Amino acid sequence: MTHTSDLAPDLPPDLAPAHEALEEASFLRDTVRAFRRNRMAMVGLAFVVALVVCAVFAPWISPHDPYRVALDEQLLGPSRTYWLGTDNFGRDVLTRILYGARISLVVGIVPSLISLAIGAVMGILSGYLGGRTDFVVMRLADMMIAFPSLLLAMVVMYTLGANLLNIFLALALVGWASVARVVRSQTLALREKEFIEAARANGTSRSRIMFGHIFPNVIPTLIVLFSLSIPEAIMWESSLSFLGVGVQPPEASWGLLVAKGKEYMFQAPTVAIAPGIAILLTVLAFNFIGDGLRDALDPSMKD
Amino acid sequence: MTKKMKLLLASGLASLVLMSPALAENMLRISYPEDPKTADVQMTTDSYTLPLNIFDRLVESETTGPGVSALVPGLAEKWEISADGLTYTFHLRAGVKFHDGAVLKADDVVYTFDRMLNPATKALNTDILTFIAGAQERMDGKADSVSGLKALDDQTVQITLTQPYAAFLALLASPGASIYERAFTEKAGDQFGLTPETTNGTGPFILTDYTLNDSETLEANENYWRGRPKLDRLLIRVVSDSETLRMLFESDEIDVFDLDYAPTQTPYFYGSDQWKDQVRSGPRVGIYYYNINQLKKPFDDVRVRQAFQMAIDRQTILDKNFYGKGKLEDGVMPRGLACYMPATPIEYNPAKAKELLKEAGYPDGVEINLQQVSSWSTKWSDMNQIIQAQVAEAGFKANIVTTDEAAFLAARKVGEAEAYTQVWSADFNDPDNFFYTFFSESGTKTRGYNNNDPEVFAAIEKARGMTDQAERCKLYQDLTAQIVGKDAAWVPLFSLDHSYVVQPRVKNFTVPWNGWSDMNYYNVEVE
Amino acid sequence: MLMFAVRRILVSIPVLIGITLILFVMLNVVPGDPIALMMKEHASPEVIARVREQMHLDDPMISRYFSFLWNAVQGDLGNSIKLNRPVTDLILKAFPNTLLLAVCAALVSWVVGIPAGILSAVRRDSFLDRFFMGFSLLGVSMPIFWSALLLQYVFAMKLKLLPVSGFYGWQYLVLPSIVLGWSSAGVIARLTRSSLLEVMRLDYIRTARAKGLRETGVITRHALKNALIPVVTIMAIQVAGLLSGAVITEAIFSIPGVGRITVSAISSRDMPLLQGAVLFATVLVILGNLVADILYSILDPRIRAQMRSEAS
Repeated sequence: MTHTSDLAPDLPPDLAPAHEALEEASFLRDTVRAFRRNRMAMVGLAFVVALVVCAVFAPWISPHDPYRVALDEQLLGPSRTYWLGTDNFGRDVLTRILYGARISLVVGIVPSLISLAIGAVMGILSGYLGGRTDFVVMRLADMMIAFPSLLLAMVVMYTLGANLLNIFLALALVGWASVARVVRSQTLALREKEFIEAARANGTSRSRIMFGHIFPNVIPTLIVLFSLSIPEAIMWESSLSFLGVGVQPPEASWGLLVAKGKEYMFQAPTVAIAPGIAILLTVLAFNFIGDGLRDALDPSMKD
Repeated sequence: MTKKMKLLLASGLASLVLMSPALAENMLRISYPEDPKTADVQMTTDSYTLPLNIFDRLVESETTGPGVSALVPGLAEKWEISADGLTYTFHLRAGVKFHDGAVLKADDVVYTFDRMLNPATKALNTDILTFIAGAQERMDGKADSVSGLKALDDQTVQITLTQPYAAFLALLASPGASIYERAFTEKAGDQFGLTPETTNGTGPFILTDYTLNDSETLEANENYWRGRPKLDRLLIRVVSDSETLRMLFESDEIDVFDLDYAPTQTPYFYGSDQWKDQVRSGPRVGIYYYNINQLKKPFDDVRVRQAFQMAIDRQTILDKNFYGKGKLEDGVMPRGLACYMPATPIEYNPAKAKELLKEAGYPDGVEINLQQVSSWSTKWSDMNQIIQAQVAEAGFKANIVTTDEAAFLAARKVGEAEAYTQVWSADFNDPDNFFYTFFSESGTKTRGYNNNDPEVFAAIEKARGMTDQAERCKLYQDLTAQIVGKDAAWVPLFSLDHSYVVQPRVKNFTVPWNGWSDMNYYNVEVE
Repeated sequence: MLMFAVRRILVSIPVLIGITLILFVMLNVVPGDPIALMMKEHASPEVIARVREQMHLDDPMISRYFSFLWNAVQGDLGNSIKLNRPVTDLILKAFPNTLLLAVCAALVSWVVGIPAGILSAVRRDSFLDRFFMGFSLLGVSMPIFWSALLLQYVFAMKLKLLPVSGFYGWQYLVLPSIVLGWSSAGVIARLTRSSLLEVMRLDYIRTARAKGLRETGVITRHALKNALIPVVTIMAIQVAGLLSGAVITEAIFSIPGVGRITVSAISSRDMPLLQGAVLFATVLVILGNLVADILYSILDPRIRAQMRSEAS
């Protein structure tokens, strides 16, 4: 965390950089230690790391081509060659799932980052500036939160058209408001803290206070929110793709694989069931990590 | 608030209880994948089951054999066509009664067609009637009536056209030309066809219940002019999910299992000892094709188009993706269409295709785009994925491009569409429905072909007005050779069969000539 | 109290108007011609132009928005393009089915979630606690469309105990309610557990315990009453989650509810119907939140005081 150095001149003596850096280092160490003690979180982390590796190196790991069409090998059961069998085009189900992991991971991370960025900025502005800004931002957030998320995402996809980029936009639009609310309430609390008052008395500019002083302090919260919004985004994407308004074939999104496999439920149930297990495990792993991070970063949020 | 909630909840429960299907002796139970929306056929272009059974038309298309049809008298007992092909005089059958007891009169026919053309109706099927003199003026709101529609007396209707149009009778036999009763329909207004109380026709069945998104019930018309139908009742259930449909069918809650709604179940039913003898199958007058746009490189070169025709292994697609239930097509007209004649077969020959590409200046292959639309059924993306893999062997590097429908239609309108695959089913039994749509001067652009051949344009216009059917058919067959063979402007794939599985108690079930799911159940019996 | 409720309702009105605006703009900037998109292959350009004119699609957006808003206030959400019936009728006819599903699902989630939460809290850190909490996390992490498919496969296709889908009798509601309820049972269980744990740390519980009351007595008579306050309020908020979930559940189980209307409105590009259905669902969510806030203020005196000061 490098934000401390360039802020140094503004800080009052009792919050000298060295002191804060030290505190932060130990905070970080405590966090890591607490996280590592959480067994489920570590299991989740291990799974996610393995998944990332598989997704990135999918072309090298998988013995099959995810797009190869072999109509003579339709809907085969699990075998030595095809561990999870083949789909209606004779494509290896396991390979399709590995390639699907790429989409799910990207969809988990990118829109979460966008909504986090928007939410953080909006939340800090709203909480620190108060007044009319606060009113406008919070009413806007109220509106976004009032929409049932899936419906809002579906409307966005309806308007913009179904593709991956628009999924990012839809999910970011759905997610930013709740981030803004949390960040706002933290900002409200921080605003009254001594070191902010001191900075203000020193004549520090508002934008510097907001993004130089308040922002670093909401980072732990943002990390927790980030880790919790990843599984949510993965879930939304797979739902949208399942309903046909998300990722389009021939791409291999997990939701899409389930939707297509559903048609062959009688003949070859693994085609639909296996990608669902992938979603379940991935979301579960991220939830474990999220819980672990929350407990480690902010013990007060526990229970 | 809570009271209202309670009420709503109660009505939800009540609807659950009432929905349990009752089994009547002489009832045929069929399914429909979505709500048919309305019985008013002027307001729909895709669900014809209700209109086909509730109404009659002046002329009917009767299925005379698998994939063969004949135009037979309907509400019109007989008709005369003037020598110049412009005036049609229809003599109505005497004593035909509507469900409400009113007697059919020539004025009802005039009213029905005028209602369709009346801009206030917002009808969707107006294309059927655009050849009638004065139709355009009526649609534009410049006239209060249609000059070409006249009731000469209570039993005689005279229709005048602006130009001779050989397919006119076939159009009048299409579901969109169903006949309504003036007084009743005027009174029902925009509610016509939406409820049993606001629906009235002359057809073999009477609409008695319409529960949106759930079911429709039709009862036999005791006074039907051809005699009462064999069935007492027809129950149409909305079942959108193919697994459910199969369960319902296997537990004897549905009498007809339409494999169109559940194509993946085809191997099961054809292979099942219990069901394989209960399969009823017939050709469908519809052709799967690959659209290629000559405005887009490399399809500007006829050799590339020929190569593309040859690079697709159509038999394998038909066998593996459609379970072999169909027939390869080599022309513009699919089997079953009037004037159909087998065309010169297109061979599957990737080596020769590669050779052609080389000749065209693409020795190392060439990139092409295959378009699909995100809101279309996954059938099309399935086809694209297979074809992408197949044409690779001939040297086509195909990219699959997905866009939304708006972008696709916008591009197609100005002739900029990328290659895509679709199916075209006959709206009425005449080749004009295919040739005019794709290869007339206006069609070839808006359909994204850009096969700008003035000779073809002229021939299509000429064929529309020809009265000698044999000569006309010959012209269409020549056009097929020109368009598919010489110009390679059209990539025909195949036409499919339409299969249904019926319960053993169902008798006289005939697949309609056009292979539609929507059909008339007048002749069907149950034991 | 009444003042709070009135104020809370008044605050919802601008939110509601804002929502109609957002929704209207989003649905009306759709690229391309909605009518042409809807009618697809077989409609001629003339027909399309005519329908456009009749639907006032060529009027300026502002005037269309205000007439939409004005009509919506009077309960008129326009006509569905595809079904040619008033959108309001379609939604009100479908809503009882959605409500029935949501209520059954909510019941499932309470019946499963609350006892599991209580047991977990009482036997904190025991095997039972871990089991329930793991199970609840599993419920939250399972995509609805997939658990639905799994249950259909096992109970309908293999065991043939229950119907796969459709809506023709009570047995058709069993699987959808379980699928939908299951996902929120986890949330309820976790909330019940944490809130009960918190209450049990409070002084009066310690006092009760010190007085020698049996543990079960302490929990049922004293702790539960307070611990369930947040649970009760979350139930009202559950509406939102259940509505989102109902979209998928209804689609998979072919239940003719508002969710199914929404999905079919999207696939048939029926803009007025989609607009109406989403607006309807959103109003329900706002109502749910309103009820939750008001319930909370009634049930919890501390919050009541706090809310009063915030509202003024």
